[in-house]
Amino acid sequence: MNDCIIKTENLGFTYADDEELATAEIPALAGVSINIGRGEYVAILGHNGSGKSTLAKLLNMILTPNVGKIYIDGRDITAEDFTEDDMFDIRRKIGMVFQNPDNQLVATVVEEDVAFGPENLGLPREEIRRRVNSSLSLVGMTEYARHAPHKLSGGQKQRVAIAGIIAMKPQVIIFDESTAMLDPQGRREVVDIMERLNREENITILNITHYMEEAARADRVIVINDGRIALDGTPREVFSNVEKLREMGLEAPQGNELILELKNAGIKIDGDSLTESECIETLYKFLS
Amino acid sequence: MNEILRIENLSFVYGKGTPFEKVALDNVSVSFEKGKITGLIGHTGSGKSTLVNLLNGLYKPTDGKVYLDGKDIWENPKEIAKIRYRVGLVMQYPEYQLFDETVRADIGFGPRNLGLTEEEINERVIEAARFAGVGADLLDKSPFELSGGQKRRVAIAGIIAMRPDVLVLDEPAAGLDPRGRREILGSLRDYVNQVGASVILVSHSMEDMAHYCDNVVVMNSAKVYRTGTVKSIFSEAESLISVGLDVPMISRVADELRRRGIDLQGELYTVDGVKSAILRYVKEVRK
Repeated sequence: MNDCIIKTENLGFTYADDEELATAEIPALAGVSINIGRGEYVAILGHNGSGKSTLAKLLNMILTPNVGKIYIDGRDITAEDFTEDDMFDIRRKIGMVFQNPDNQLVATVVEEDVAFGPENLGLPREEIRRRVNSSLSLVGMTEYARHAPHKLSGGQKQRVAIAGIIAMKPQVIIFDESTAMLDPQGRREVVDIMERLNREENITILNITHYMEEAARADRVIVINDGRIALDGTPREVFSNVEKLREMGLEAPQGNELILELKNAGIKIDGDSLTESECIETLYKFLS
Repeated sequence: MNEILRIENLSFVYGKGTPFEKVALDNVSVSFEKGKITGLIGHTGSGKSTLVNLLNGLYKPTDGKVYLDGKDIWENPKEIAKIRYRVGLVMQYPEYQLFDETVRADIGFGPRNLGLTEEEINERVIEAARFAGVGADLLDKSPFELSGGQKRRVAIAGIIAMRPDVLVLDEPAAGLDPRGRREILGSLRDYVNQVGASVILVSHSMEDMAHYCDNVVVMNSAKVYRTGTVKSIFSEAESLISVGLDVPMISRVADELRRRGIDLQGELYTVDGVKSAILRYVKEVRK
């Protein structure tokens, strides 16, 4: 694939000499080879400890792999001649949004928080101003530019954190369970922004999540199980494996679960049920 | 209704008398039913956490009363620490609060402070570990050797070991995968059934609320917005959405089918409930 933004080859990682992890000898990731195309919107699923966060940390160079290769935007980040300057360059290309918004905000005023990254890049004043304004506008937080971040709701805080990432003009944003602590409204806000950044700005999105309905909105779903890629396909393909997902400690969106349960109860029903409207249509056709 | 906790005209103001004064709870009255699991939902900043901290006397009300089993918990302020054993609070991310050398010692910390004998402490540790799903093989390990989900269960066991009348859990399943959520939340029902305790569960997951709770209290902007059974609360999708919440996807599906004339009846807010309703409907129609 020519337009690959992320490519891994036989990637492996083991947390060695780490007392906090009882499973020190078992690799957290093994033999992971994936291609992520530029502008893709990918959800990554997996049970706790499956290795999905390890993958995210490898891609952003928080961790370095023991085995295998990682290419970001064509550059081999595991190569011997890869310098510290190159690393900063990669981190600028791949932004990460974490679970707890309170741990990611550093300034006392929203716009200063968003400006933190660009300031550290040593950009001219006018460019920083331009980036802060456009980033806040993209996440719909312009009117809060001069507010104190700690007074915002969880979803708003997370949107400010995202604006701070966008201001670095990344090519990829990894959301590492960024919606786990949010209320339903906050979750909707953040997922809507992911979609908008993908569709309108062509930013590659990786959304690591435990919410299956969120994953169903992506273009592609990758399931990681025990450090390996277990399923990879469109949400429709992946979520048709309800029983396999259950074996891996996961589940499918409620619509798929319901249709499977009905089939198991002897009901002869067929049709799509990934989204709410598909599920309604399939059931309505059958019941009316 | 047989109530275990009742709050009356409760208000709480942060930073009263300062420029940062903020009303977190505004004249709230609500009861929690004995032997039931009550869900507490509301958007960020709606007052849920403040309410939870008032229920076990961590905060003192600015105004109003909290009654535990009919008695004002602040009647004798010197005795308030005792209330905290009777209303056990599992805070968010409780695994960060583990500290002892072994899982056994950590779970036994509360009972030891209650001044029980070694034998009683041991009995409580084993019982609490069982309810929280902590395997007996883990008891002599260091809590820091465990996985995140296991640590979370140890922390919950530490509170259960005090045999509180009311167990309050703030987002106990946050960050866990679906199986981890089921294990922790499923064990709450066993606990309630076998001990007769009451549980208050704070969560942002509407699916979990629908699946595990009997009753629901909905908070909005420092006030109680709705109270009722799970069924009654989740049958009002629009009113929940209007306060930043939601209903499970499966309820929206069932609602739309009903709107189109498919007369589904029953508990239309879980996958199992909707499945049963569809099976009953199919049987009726075939008749």
